[in-house]
Amino acid sequence: MIQFFHVYKQYFRSNEALSDINLSIERGEFVFLTGASGAGKSTLLKLIYKEEEPSKGQILIDSINSTLIPPGKLYKLRRQIGIVFQDFKLMMNRTVHENVAIPLLVRGEKKAAVEKKVNSTLALVGLSHRKRYLTSHISGGEQQRVAIARAVIGNPKILIADEPTGNLDTELSIEIIRILEKINASGITTIIATHDLNLINLFPKRIIKLDKGQLVLDKASEAV
Amino acid sequence: MKFMLHAVQQALTNILRNKTVNLLCLGIIAFTLLVPGIFNYISFNLDRYISKLSENIEAIFYLKDGGDGSEIERMLQRIQGSLLVKEVGFTSKDRAQAKFSREFPELQYILAEFSNSPFPASIDVKFRADARSVVQIESFIRDIEKNSLVESVQLNLDWARKIALIKKFASFAGLFLSAILLVVSIFIIFNVVKINIFYRRDEINILRLVGATDWYIKTPFLLEGLILGFLGGLLAGGLLLAAIKVFPLYAKFVFTIVKQLIDFRQLPLRIFWELVITGSAIGLLSSFISLRRFIKQAPPG
Repeated sequence: MIQFFHVYKQYFRSNEALSDINLSIERGEFVFLTGASGAGKSTLLKLIYKEEEPSKGQILIDSINSTLIPPGKLYKLRRQIGIVFQDFKLMMNRTVHENVAIPLLVRGEKKAAVEKKVNSTLALVGLSHRKRYLTSHISGGEQQRVAIARAVIGNPKILIADEPTGNLDTELSIEIIRILEKINASGITTIIATHDLNLINLFPKRIIKLDKGQLVLDKASEAV
Repeated sequence: MKFMLHAVQQALTNILRNKTVNLLCLGIIAFTLLVPGIFNYISFNLDRYISKLSENIEAIFYLKDGGDGSEIERMLQRIQGSLLVKEVGFTSKDRAQAKFSREFPELQYILAEFSNSPFPASIDVKFRADARSVVQIESFIRDIEKNSLVESVQLNLDWARKIALIKKFASFAGLFLSAILLVVSIFIIFNVVKINIFYRRDEINILRLVGATDWYIKTPFLLEGLILGFLGGLLAGGLLLAAIKVFPLYAKFVFTIVKQLIDFRQLPLRIFWELVITGSAIGLLSSFISLRRFIKQAPPG
């Protein structure tokens, strides 16, 4: 599903953010991407959804070399990937419904279909009762669930979450990971970047650990 | 069609959602268009005034005695053939004498001294009312004057020359001012639209990340620019109309001469639509450039 071949990433006049990364993530896998701040987790995720280009190496997403996708066709890749951010990246002056519906609206889906999918997705993340609320009027935990709903409503093949629990307390963090686990169970490849080892220990999943841009651990879950 | 409807709806929603920034943008567009609009209107009135005065341009070619009839006929035809000429008439020596007798009966005794008419035959030419052709008229008169039949020319062109000079100056000043203001308008609107887009950069980034095409993102912003420019043009036209209604009342007491010079009757539709079209074009162009630059420079999501 996702393959990295000798991938390097170097930002202008800085050290290598990623160095010789080789990895393969299969369809339907649940992976924790971990490492200290600045280890290269976000950079690796950005390379997957092509917000960044590798300085060297190749990345295959569903057998397609992502480095060869022209900017005009980038939307096709993005529609296969749902992304959840630590800072949510929601439109705060819009309702929960409007935020969740965006990925379907950009695809030109019909109003009735959008309505149906928004309702079922909000039910999945337990937010049906907040549908008409302004996003700025709901709690942080609820906002993160809106972001998850937005990420999965388009039925993506891959779900990427960059520190999705970074701003949440332990209880809410566990709840969010459980929701992501439920989504993963439907066959969506799920990659979660987190530096919260306690959280990783609670869920027995594959772990990929980065340190100073290098892949230092890649194995099935165990205490790290 | 569905996409365009969505884009228009989105553009209008965005305009209403960001009222403060968009009202500011609208005000700036209206003001920057109003200034060239006022100048354009004054220039339009000056044009009309000059055209009205130019209706009286006349020249009288006095002919030498003993001119051949066919040569005079050829000269008349040549004058008549010019597009600058409105009316041409021939006054023979005898008709000139009869005219003198009719107009000055008390001086008839002087004419008794002459066996033949002492007055020269003449060709009277009236020109078309178009201030822009004053230079051409002058050149045409000088050309006819070279004819061997012509003794002298009498023409009332001095004032016309002065008016033409004023007109030339007015046109130049108008063009110069309008060009400067237009550049200033584009610059200001470009930056306002850029701020408007920058203000919503997060929204653009979100749309990009959820798989929106470039056109899906750009179109509502382009329409916003177009709508703001269009409304700004309408507002400028409305303000100009209001100024035209109000200013003469003020000018009546203060600037009597200005009021006489400028005919404050109505705002020509041409100027009104020019403002609206210019506003729309500037709005569209400014958002197009701003959006293009912003999308290129947008920081990663």
